[in-house]
Amino acid sequence: MTEAEKNAIYLSSSPHYTKGTKTQYLMAMVLIALLPECVYGVILFGLRALITIVVSVVSAVVFEALFQLLTKQNVCVNNLSAAVTGVLLALVLPSTIPIWMVVLGALFAVVVAKGLFGGLGANVFNPALTGRAFLFVSFGSAMGASWLNLESGVNKWDFHATGVLPLDALSSASIDAISSATMDAISSATPLSQMKAGTFVVDGDTLLQFFLGNRSGCIGETSILLILISFVFLLVTHVIDWRAPLGMVGTVAIATLISAWTKLGSFSEALPEVAMALLAGGLMFGATFMVTDYATTPVTKPGRFVFGVGAGLLTFLIRTFGGYPEGVMFSILIMNALAPFLNYLTARKYGYGKKAHQKRVSKKIVQTFDTATAKTEVTK
Amino acid sequence: MKIHTFKGGIFPPERKELSRDCPITDAFPSTKMVTIPVTQGGAPNTPLVKVGDVVAKGQKIAASDKFMSAPVHASIAGTVRKIQNNMVTGNGEALCIVIESDGSDRTDYMPPLDPFTCDEKDAIARIKDAGIVGMGGAQFPTHVKMSPPPDKEIDYVLLNAAECEPYLTVDERTLQEDTAKVIDGLAIVLRIMGAEGKIALETNKAYIKPLLEKEIAAKGYGDDMCVELIKSKYPQGCEKNIVDALLGREIPSGGLPADAGALIMNVGTVCAISDAFRLGKPLIERALTISGGACEKPCNLRVPIGTMVGDLIPEVFTLKRGETSKIISGGPMMGFAMTNAMFPITKGTSGITFMTRSETYLVDETPCIGCGRCVEACPMHLTPVMMVRSLKANNFDEAKKFGLMDCIECGCCSYVCPANVRLVQRFRLGKSVIRQQMADKKAAEAAKAAVATSAAPANQNGGTK
Repeated sequence: MTEAEKNAIYLSSSPHYTKGTKTQYLMAMVLIALLPECVYGVILFGLRALITIVVSVVSAVVFEALFQLLTKQNVCVNNLSAAVTGVLLALVLPSTIPIWMVVLGALFAVVVAKGLFGGLGANVFNPALTGRAFLFVSFGSAMGASWLNLESGVNKWDFHATGVLPLDALSSASIDAISSATMDAISSATPLSQMKAGTFVVDGDTLLQFFLGNRSGCIGETSILLILISFVFLLVTHVIDWRAPLGMVGTVAIATLISAWTKLGSFSEALPEVAMALLAGGLMFGATFMVTDYATTPVTKPGRFVFGVGAGLLTFLIRTFGGYPEGVMFSILIMNALAPFLNYLTARKYGYGKKAHQKRVSKKIVQTFDTATAKTEVTK
Repeated sequence: MKIHTFKGGIFPPERKELSRDCPITDAFPSTKMVTIPVTQGGAPNTPLVKVGDVVAKGQKIAASDKFMSAPVHASIAGTVRKIQNNMVTGNGEALCIVIESDGSDRTDYMPPLDPFTCDEKDAIARIKDAGIVGMGGAQFPTHVKMSPPPDKEIDYVLLNAAECEPYLTVDERTLQEDTAKVIDGLAIVLRIMGAEGKIALETNKAYIKPLLEKEIAAKGYGDDMCVELIKSKYPQGCEKNIVDALLGREIPSGGLPADAGALIMNVGTVCAISDAFRLGKPLIERALTISGGACEKPCNLRVPIGTMVGDLIPEVFTLKRGETSKIISGGPMMGFAMTNAMFPITKGTSGITFMTRSETYLVDETPCIGCGRCVEACPMHLTPVMMVRSLKANNFDEAKKFGLMDCIECGCCSYVCPANVRLVQRFRLGKSVIRQQMADKKAAEAAKAAVATSAAPANQNGGTK
């Protein structure tokens, strides 16, 4: 840099000060928070999960860069948002999914759901969930659409408890060759579909295994313990807001409690059902990583809370009455569409309402009171 | 001890340690010249002197007959050399009176006035004659502030000793060095307003509290004023937030502090009020902080009003060679970036900050990711991100609904924005467009009314063609 450049005096509108938190930093924090889920997913589901994650991230980043080149924008994959989308997509896919589907999902996520909507910050729907939804409706069987043959798969998920999982066999086998029973083992829908069918019995050990993540499901959604750790990490580093996640989980809990209580007639019997509703499926993962996505959720505090409550309510309704055993994905996508309207729910502005028009304690009243007492004393 | 605060706000690095231990020293421009803007707060003044006139220190040199105005006085004794436009804070040009010192100390002060026995009207008149304006930056004429409409009763006077703007330490120094003057000035205001006083001190200056309380006790003002601690947070010193923090009241949208029964005074202003009564001295000098990373030795100075900042370099302070990236009149949160240092210090200049490249930021905007940090930081509880989105869509009505016209331009939203979106700049632009629209509408209506009454036949002629 030359001396002249160094001496340049810059003009700009105030403030001339910045906190220095960058978009890139926030995305990096989300990636760090996702690390435990990735590691555990690989431990639980094996090499195939690792391949899925890597392929998903690489293709998301590459497709984003290609799209930006093609549309003559500045290539800004270094803000890490495409990488976050890639990891999130991989973590909501079953480990058995064929690799080409992962690539296709990533393409749909970053190009259709994000790029075509205007890129970072302008997308309406959560890219990772849109990618998943695309695969889900296009390739139902590969995505573990095992509710179709509910009856054939019974309690197959408990072979995880033995620690033996035919993962190598699975990863080498083609999807078509996998029996529907094994599909059940991999799909996150199983316990929820059984709950729906009323054939699922909850006991303490099951709840513990679900909490620890000793179960089947999508790569990243199994261990509630690790998700809670990620949630706390994101919360204390001020990356996410608590309102939407708590609104969502709270609503599912309350709605399930009311429904189970009326069905079973006893509060204590209803509690395990509530616990299972929270631990099974992708609720916790969605509440931590999906309803806290910046671009696709409201920016205002009341808006975020209502967003969470809405997503929770839709999740409960889909789980209870809908055609699918799990409703987290669709409920969040539906709420994504409503997010721009929820932004009209704002906090009370300063200078409006009660506090601005409250009556002051007049000093004059005190003075007239004093003179009055003084006068009475004189007349006495 | 309760520490008062408000919701929202930010915690920027204060960097007050650069200058907080430097006593206020008197300084004089090296050129022996001052450039005094004719108008410093209130309605435009007209010069009362012409080129070649000999003036004394404290002589009135510009005034207006409007109530909403404050006169300007010669800050040094000497000869008027020029009356011409000069760059002032805000990068605009304004008419200035240039006086060259004759080296003498001739003064033309008013006679002292006892504030505790004189008539209230005389007291207000004295404050106007002394040219006292808000010295925190806004330069609002103080006598106007102290004459609220009869239906608005002021029951509290708050001495704003928050000094929440980073780098600035001049109020902190004044409170320690001129404690008696500060308390005296506040007592005068309390006497005129018939109100109770609260000194709002940020917790980072809590060590000054015993000093102030000692002075209050020594003067026997214990029943009339007290010292309250407020949290060190930006923008704690904003009128609206200080009223909320200390009194639990809010100034209604579009209103004045008087609407919440409060009057807010700057530390420098009350000192000037004390001088105006005790010494008869008008507001002709002010203390300010010179700081920033590019400043060799940050300091606190007392200079005559109209001193060119450039005239203090290098005799009074020096800059690190090639380090300065921004010259800011004021602090980094709300100050004005200037093109060079050749602008005069006015009644509202509380500091000059010379920032290095690493202290300030010079990066481009990136896309808004909708993180909502600006919403959380806004001390007015507005929705900055939605205001920007509405402005980008040219939807001014919606921008107003999200609070555009209630924005105080404190800069909290821009400070926390991870995408470096120039929120405040966009709001300033949006506000000026809306104000222009309103003015245009008013003008159009007035023109229409004029046409309807006077030019009806002309219209008929136009119609037949």
